[in-house]
Amino acid sequence: MKVIAFVNNKGGVGKTTCSKLMAEYLSKVKKIPTLGIDFDPQCNFSHQYLKMEIDPAAPEGLMPPIHPDYATDDPDHIDWDGRSSISEIFYGQGVVPYPTYLQHLDLAPGHAEKLLAAEAVRKSEVVDKVHKQLANFLNSEDVKAAYDAVVIDTAPSKGPLTVSVMKAATHIVIPSVMEEQPVQGIYGMLQLWMQESLAREKDRPLKLIGILPNMFKQTRLHKDILKCLQENPAISKYVLPVSLSQRIVFAEIDAEEANPRSIFDYSVSHVAKQEAEEVCAYITERIFS
Amino acid sequence: MTKKKRFGVSQALTRGLSEAINVVENNAAIYRNTVVPLSRIELDPDNPRKLTINLNDVRNGLKKEDPHYEKKAEELERLKELASTIESSGVINPIVAYKLGEFYRVVAGERRCLASILAKKNEIEARVFNEKPKGFGLKLVQWIENTAREDLTLDERIGNIRDLIREYQGERGEQGITATLLKHITSLSLPQATYYLSVLNAPDDLRKAIEHGQVRSLDKAAMIAGIDSDEVRREALTACINGSSLKELRKIIAREKLVSSQPKIMREKAKRGRVASRINMGSTANAKVVQAIVQSVLSHTNFNRYSEIFSQVAWDRYDHATRAFRKLVEILEQEMVR
Repeated sequence: MKVIAFVNNKGGVGKTTCSKLMAEYLSKVKKIPTLGIDFDPQCNFSHQYLKMEIDPAAPEGLMPPIHPDYATDDPDHIDWDGRSSISEIFYGQGVVPYPTYLQHLDLAPGHAEKLLAAEAVRKSEVVDKVHKQLANFLNSEDVKAAYDAVVIDTAPSKGPLTVSVMKAATHIVIPSVMEEQPVQGIYGMLQLWMQESLAREKDRPLKLIGILPNMFKQTRLHKDILKCLQENPAISKYVLPVSLSQRIVFAEIDAEEANPRSIFDYSVSHVAKQEAEEVCAYITERIFS
Repeated sequence: MTKKKRFGVSQALTRGLSEAINVVENNAAIYRNTVVPLSRIELDPDNPRKLTINLNDVRNGLKKEDPHYEKKAEELERLKELASTIESSGVINPIVAYKLGEFYRVVAGERRCLASILAKKNEIEARVFNEKPKGFGLKLVQWIENTAREDLTLDERIGNIRDLIREYQGERGEQGITATLLKHITSLSLPQATYYLSVLNAPDDLRKAIEHGQVRSLDKAAMIAGIDSDEVRREALTACINGSSLKELRKIIAREKLVSSQPKIMREKAKRGRVASRINMGSTANAKVVQAIVQSVLSHTNFNRYSEIFSQVAWDRYDHATRAFRKLVEILEQEMVR
């Protein structure tokens, strides 16, 4: 089972868009049984596939809807409130992934308040309470039997949630806008990659697929910064030869009631679909070859 | 026409990105920083540090019938001091180990492990190599670990260096080890490397004294090892064992040099320039030397008749002593012609 995470501690660089494209490419185009995990308290990834609800206990945050398998008269569900998010792993409870409109894609959605609570765990407790939990969950036999790929959208932070993702992932991709601040976010992620790589067993390395230039515009700023990274001998090996351009269509398919819902439903000649396929095919080839 | 503005990533950020990448590329899959259970720790029987106390003693307590009970009890006391700091502040530097079957064999950090067990800890932070380090690498780590230790005996240090050289030669082929090469391998200073090399090649008596802990200072051992004469070396060694200082040992060696340098005066040397036709009688600031020479000659029956000439000499005055010596040489030249 491959665990692919899109990470960057700078917000607004397209982690959710990339996670969505990758999850849909693997499940819809490649027919690979895939689990999407939303580890970002903003829950935007979850909102793409589920009608997330406002949490009455924390009105600024979202929570998952009632699970379609939940039945109030089922004696097995007595201790369950009918909602399940990936944050249950921090509370010793089982996670029940939600089916999505895509046949091969399930989703373990986020729960804003619970994820924020995990992010705020005290330093002395964080290793046991947060860092190890996602890896434990993904190593469970049930999960490994059900899925061949896991795609994780992460929070724009370097905190316990992102560390937890680093510990669980087999591969990471760092999407970044070619601007100074997002590139600083790459540095933050390379630091976490370094720490994790030095703590890993030899037979399960954390592979950095690379830096994905995202929301790329043909401006001097973007071109110059990309060139600067490509010209550095150490960094250039990790700058992906594919990129995603700034296109309004990526925002349009995120809208509620969007039709089509996936970029992969567009016609073969659509430039955004071609670009998304090129990027996802490249990453898939690197991960599964 | 104005120039178009160019953008880029700051130098500091580029450096940070490259450094992180290089660290992973150069170190990942070689070792990992982790926490290992102390129950799976094993000590390296080949570590040149000859700690008498072992895991079993620390886990189950010392037994009075143990032949090394006293030494172990001393070591245990010292470990307890370390254990109390570990209890309060933890282990500051991780130990170095490698995976050996189900266990982790300690390359460096035996005392930290034993003290952590005493401090009732269950785990210890470790840098774990994925494979057993090769001979030279292993010995080098142990050397680096041991070199900062104050309680390591001279014999243990020398043993460590000897192993290090053996493994180095084993890996790179037999080659002469010079002080410069040893300095390069161990990061010792050149004088220290020189001392170690001379002690490594020391005669048996000195080596035994080091082994028995009778000679504990590297400087003194190196000084004694450098003495050519067996007799003088034995004298210096005995003095060292009896507590002589470096200065006192230097005096003994200076005496040896004086004796051994005598024949050199007689040695024929190729000379340049005019052929010598006179003998330089030398000079001295000690007028008593001149008085002693004059009086020695005058005490001879052939010369005592000249005593009266020297009766008025003020020997504490250089001009008087000089004139007296010249007079003596003059007399001797006359007497020798006869």
